[in-house]
Amino acid sequence: MLLNLEGVSKAFKGLKAVNSVSTRLEEGKILGLIGPNGAGKTTLFNLITGVYPPTEGKIFFDGKDITSVAPHARCWMGIARTFQLVRPLPELSVLDNAAIGRVYGRDPIRNRSKAEKASYETLEMVGLAARASEKAKSLTLVDRKRLELARALAAKPKLLLLDELLAGLNPSEVLTSMALIQSIRDMGITIIMVEHLVKAVFGIADQIVVLSAGELIAEGTPAEIACNESVIDAYLGRSLHA
Amino acid sequence: MKTTSRQLPSFKPSRRWLTPGAIAVLLAFAVVFPQQVAKDNVWNLFFLMCLGIAMGQSWNMLGGFAGQTSLGHAAFFGIGAIITRVLWFHGTPFFLALIVGGVAAATFAMIIGAPTFRLRGAYFAIGTLAVAEVLRITIAQNQPYISTMPGSMIAEYNLPSRYWLALGLAIATTGAAYMLLRSRWSLGILGVREDEEAAQATGVHVLRHKLLALGLSAVFMGLAGGVFAFKQISYYPEAPFFPTFTFEALMIAYIGGLGTVSGPVIGGIFFVVVRERLAANLTDVHQVIFGALFVVIVLLLPGGLLEIWDRSKRLALRVIRR
Repeated sequence: MLLNLEGVSKAFKGLKAVNSVSTRLEEGKILGLIGPNGAGKTTLFNLITGVYPPTEGKIFFDGKDITSVAPHARCWMGIARTFQLVRPLPELSVLDNAAIGRVYGRDPIRNRSKAEKASYETLEMVGLAARASEKAKSLTLVDRKRLELARALAAKPKLLLLDELLAGLNPSEVLTSMALIQSIRDMGITIIMVEHLVKAVFGIADQIVVLSAGELIAEGTPAEIACNESVIDAYLGRSLHA
Repeated sequence: MKTTSRQLPSFKPSRRWLTPGAIAVLLAFAVVFPQQVAKDNVWNLFFLMCLGIAMGQSWNMLGGFAGQTSLGHAAFFGIGAIITRVLWFHGTPFFLALIVGGVAAATFAMIIGAPTFRLRGAYFAIGTLAVAEVLRITIAQNQPYISTMPGSMIAEYNLPSRYWLALGLAIATTGAAYMLLRSRWSLGILGVREDEEAAQATGVHVLRHKLLALGLSAVFMGLAGGVFAFKQISYYPEAPFFPTFTFEALMIAYIGGLGTVSGPVIGGIFFVVVRERLAANLTDVHQVIFGALFVVIVLLLPGGLLEIWDRSKRLALRVIRR
């Protein structure tokens, strides 16, 4: 097991944003995390990446208890993420944005020019190599999303968390991004993706976890989830003439 | 992943020859001109410019690169001054005293850094101002008498030696800022400035990088204080702790171009020349004029004077290429 959540809860001033969630994720799989707005998906991401500690429960990564490990140290161990509202480092060049991941992530390259060379390859992979010398703030939304992905990938993660990477993209961009996500999985990187585009998630995920009001209400393969009664009630909805 | 043996394209625009040329001209001027004129007021003016450049570079390392606005840099300046002066007066070779002063300033910075960096933005600025003011008042209470150079030192005092030292410090500080910006550490330091949380999620140890920027910044501010202590014949020990030194350093960085290496150089020269002019002619209001100038620059020219320079250079290159 690469990731193991044991009864993880997070309360904000009494409000339980995540309530006793337990799940396991095998290496090399794509986990789709779905649920209505306010279900606690981003909070769960923040718990896995260490933005704040859980109020209850334990988190194991790669066999180690990381419940109280700081975010930067989790990145060193191999957890990287993108943010729902993209956060590239605006005044830095596209290349430097990616190079940060390579210099500070897992298995880092401490020599800056070597790290830049390696990050350039990551930029090629996401299709941003031509813009390497531009400032990140000059990029369009799609390209910023790509850059976030490149920065996370440059950190050589074992586990990659994608927070609504597909949101705001047009249909053809969604397709290329899905192909990209699959090729990242094929590199051996385990992925957790939060996504509202249910069709897209069901298309590429190996495992789906459904959150509602902070609780895990269902877990299984896309096919199992698609006909799960409680998921249909809470999130997917019933077709009118069913 | 695709692997390529292709060379990285050149990421910097083709204006590289301008920079070494400008540095050479500036250095030649700084070395030749004061010797040719050989007047006290010129040695003085050039000394102040170099001190201003060093202070601006120092402040910029923390405020411009790491994005942490300190209002307490006078504390580092003052510590450097007082330690250097006391050791030097008591027979320590000057350069050793100067270095100990710089190290003492950095040590103090490390001690106050960990707690003050728990504060962010305006609270960090207020916290550093409070620390520096407490230190200034403490010094004023404990060292109320004017510190004057012993007669033997006054006898062999000469301005050019003070200027050469200040010039050396300005060059060293600028060189350090340049090397810092090219190092891998700058990725983390600039990353912290741009977005702490995103940098942290990418493996940057935020506190460590803030402390690194603070430590370097404090070393050079302390050395500047030591150079001040080497030049001034007599002053109240409290004087180098005055917030004026913080605000001069800050304004030089902002006026020249925050977060750049050449900005504090341009800012230092401009600031000192204008200040000396204004102070001579409009003694009463020159501070007010500076306040206004500062506000105008921050609002209209966030890139500082360097922005004018960059814009006109780009324009000129476009005309040449045609």
